[in-house]
Amino acid sequence: MPWLSLAVGVPALGALVAALLPARLTAAPRLIALGSAVLSLLALLVTLIRFDTGAGMQLVEEAVWIPTIDVAWRLGVDGLSLPLALMSALLFLPAIGYGVGPRPLTRAAAALLLLLESATLAFFLAQDFFLFYVAFDVTLVAMYFLIALWGEANRRYAALKFFLYTLIGSLPVLLGIIVLFLESDPATFDMIRIAREQPLAGAGAGASLTFLGFFVGFAIKTPIVPFHTWLPAAHVEAPTAGSVLLAGVLLKLGTYGIVRVNLQMLPDAFAEYALPIALLGLLSVLYGALVALAQRDLKRLIAYTSINHMGYVVIAVAAAAAPGISASARELAIDGAVLQMVAHGVVTSALFFVAGFIATRAGTRDLDELSGLVGPMPIYGALAAVAMFASLGLPGLAQFPAELQIFLGTFDAYPGIAAVALLGLVVTAALFLLALQRAFLGETGAAWRGLRDLGRRELGVLVPLIVLTVALGVYPRLALDLISAGSWLLP
Amino acid sequence: MEDRMLGELPWLAPIGALVLTAMVAVILSLFVARGHQGRVGAFVAAGHLVAAGLVAWVWLDLGPSEVMEGTVMMDGLALAVIGLLGVAGAVGVALLRPVVAGTDREGELYAVLAAASLASAVLVAAADIALIAMALGMLSLTSFVLTAYLRRSARGNEASLKYYIYGTVSGAAMVYGFSWWFGLTGATSLAGIGERLPEAPTAALVGSTALVVLGLGYKAALVPFHFWTPDVYDGAPLPIAAYLSVLPKIAGLIALARVLPVALPDDAAGWSVAIAAIAAATMTLGNLAALRQRNVVRLLAYSSIAQSGYLLMGVAALSGSDQGLPALVYYAIAYAATNLAAFAVVLAVQRERRWVDVSAFAGLGARHPWWTAALVLSLLSLVGIPPLSGFVGKLEVFTAAIDAGQAWLAVVAVVNTVISLFYYLRVIAPTVFATPAGTEAVVAAPRGGASAPLTAALAATAIATVALGVGAEPLLRLAEAATMLGG
Repeated sequence: MPWLSLAVGVPALGALVAALLPARLTAAPRLIALGSAVLSLLALLVTLIRFDTGAGMQLVEEAVWIPTIDVAWRLGVDGLSLPLALMSALLFLPAIGYGVGPRPLTRAAAALLLLLESATLAFFLAQDFFLFYVAFDVTLVAMYFLIALWGEANRRYAALKFFLYTLIGSLPVLLGIIVLFLESDPATFDMIRIAREQPLAGAGAGASLTFLGFFVGFAIKTPIVPFHTWLPAAHVEAPTAGSVLLAGVLLKLGTYGIVRVNLQMLPDAFAEYALPIALLGLLSVLYGALVALAQRDLKRLIAYTSINHMGYVVIAVAAAAAPGISASARELAIDGAVLQMVAHGVVTSALFFVAGFIATRAGTRDLDELSGLVGPMPIYGALAAVAMFASLGLPGLAQFPAELQIFLGTFDAYPGIAAVALLGLVVTAALFLLALQRAFLGETGAAWRGLRDLGRRELGVLVPLIVLTVALGVYPRLALDLISAGSWLLP
Repeated sequence: MEDRMLGELPWLAPIGALVLTAMVAVILSLFVARGHQGRVGAFVAAGHLVAAGLVAWVWLDLGPSEVMEGTVMMDGLALAVIGLLGVAGAVGVALLRPVVAGTDREGELYAVLAAASLASAVLVAAADIALIAMALGMLSLTSFVLTAYLRRSARGNEASLKYYIYGTVSGAAMVYGFSWWFGLTGATSLAGIGERLPEAPTAALVGSTALVVLGLGYKAALVPFHFWTPDVYDGAPLPIAAYLSVLPKIAGLIALARVLPVALPDDAAGWSVAIAAIAAATMTLGNLAALRQRNVVRLLAYSSIAQSGYLLMGVAALSGSDQGLPALVYYAIAYAATNLAAFAVVLAVQRERRWVDVSAFAGLGARHPWWTAALVLSLLSLVGIPPLSGFVGKLEVFTAAIDAGQAWLAVVAVVNTVISLFYYLRVIAPTVFATPAGTEAVVAAPRGGASAPLTAALAATAIATVALGVGAEPLLRLAEAATMLGG
């Protein structure tokens, strides 16, 4: 069975069915969306069973598409693709379960969420640049409509900004893809072949420009400071499930691209720019943490910590590309980077749900107005605390092993940068502790005494994420064995 | 001699079909009762489709060939584009029918439209400057008549007069340029000119070439010969604007793609750089001007200017890359489908709401989900969002530009793509997100929504917009085969 194609195809088909349903079947869109997402996850779990850890790119599915320009339906998995695809398929379940817009889930919402899921999985699994780019752009079209249709007050502006910025990002990527296509011989969009043959090996001006085209595109998506300005608007204005998918899944498109294309296909050019990129990563770490510290809006605070957390990934990848890093440190750094992508996906999704739940109850997310939430909502308070501790990097929770590996790996190449980046950890620790103190502890404000604790639906989406957060923290090998960067980093 | 000419007739069948269509349509329109002139339209549409069908027959059974001693090239390029003209012309008639039904010269309008398609087809295949000049003159004249059809509209009259005067002047300039070419080389065939023209004195060469580019560039709405476009599109009946934005434009671009590399081989006079510069200016000015428009027809007019710029990238790449021509052909066909789909939806909205300001589109999504889907898909295709056909077109021309060493032009096109997203979204946003406010009266008394031909044309072009992108292989293969003879 072509399991990977099923994982991508079922949500796409589900989107089509949901869009064409007769309007009177009000319960059907939600069932179709959840059903497709579950089937897609099952197909990936089967892939996980068949997956041979340590064997590099494998289980490749290939079908003829546009042979004239050597475009084909090529999907495959390695220790980079599979964890991210699994994480995405996992995160779509709570996102769809919680839903966007009016309840029950409308046909349009179901179709857009499933389209987004299909495109995201296609992006992580694609081993063909044409498909890769199609998926990259379809995610942004789907997300544009999700934000603009069901976002908060300023949604149109935020959606436009998101679409524009990410399109500005995707077009240099397209030019880079065209250069790799033209330079490969015979010309191809086959990513596996391009990674193996390295058509732009050596570091000429052409390789540098191509590298920078890809890098700018992925840097906007990640986002790396100073390409981040779209992020706060989009994350804050998006509906809760939209923010979850934006931060949990879509940001990884950027870092995945940097590893898959910049690092794997253009390592020589990367070596040249490794230091400035590591410094940009450091800037993101510090800037994201400090700006988050100044926020009163919980959602905005979480949005900025994403910049901080993705900064660690960028530092690790740049360190891995640095000339003269030892092979073991490189593997450590990339293992950590991929684990951080997965861990951040899970933890930040939980945090955006935490912010969304309080906003629907209290009508505000302002940390200065909220107080003593643990009183009326003990379960909510406990789960929120776990998510925040995970995000600040507490040992035993998901992000700690990832950040530890990143620091250990980076230390070999850039000890100074690694040392300064530790400051970011201190600031995020402070800001989450302050947030907990301001909103959750202390005396419960009069307005908040009557708040209900989480209901079944909310527990259903949040608890699995918290369980996963703890599991990844206690037993990181769950993901690390799967990642094992050494097996695929150098094709 | 006569035998050979008779033997060549089958190759001319597609053009012959258009000749017959135009002539019979004139006669038919005299005899068909006024209430039934739609039958003339049906006949003309069928004639266009027969021409397209004959193209397939010529290509598959006879193979490409030069005819009439090399004055007409029925090569892959001409056949592919004439096939496109046939189908697009039929769509044009389908869009036109609901607008002009029952007007006093309806049948004759279809006949003139057929004549314009004929002129476009000849222009695409002509490899002799005399024939090119004649085709261009005929195309100008017929386009002028089409534009001026609504005689009582002051704007229409102004538009058509503008179009005619500037068209005649630019056509004359081209003929003057051709006369220099003839004087410099003593030949009228492009191949004959190409043998000697590069040796001509530089000033005469550059000057005369500029005049020729002016004449053809005018038809293709290239900057700085584009200024007629918005007024004409706005003043002409909407379906005529749709027709003009596709057929004469593509014919002009294909003629440029045939004339320049054959008459000026090996990039003589450095025309590649000049065309690349015109392409950059065309897309940039078109997009910047489109940003300010609130009238969707004018917005589409400027957007089509910008699209001419992207198409011209294929022409600019001709001498530096063998990807240029297939890219041009693919993009031309994708653009035709996409642009006609966009115009079809705007036409449907205009018929229901009587105006086509951006605000007329508010709440369209709730009332007409299918129109909205077609509009959103066609506009995203014009942006170049994958996997729609406009994306594959852009991928092709970008690849050609980079392959030809004009990466800077690809970068300009990328910047332009981002600019264009602004104004396409300005139409998409109210369509999908807004609720119709204060327009209920109009909705309650629609003037007539989509008629059957309009619906069919809308569906066909929208489906083609998607299908040609997702399933790009057959069309890309066709584009690869659409080569030039004697180039």
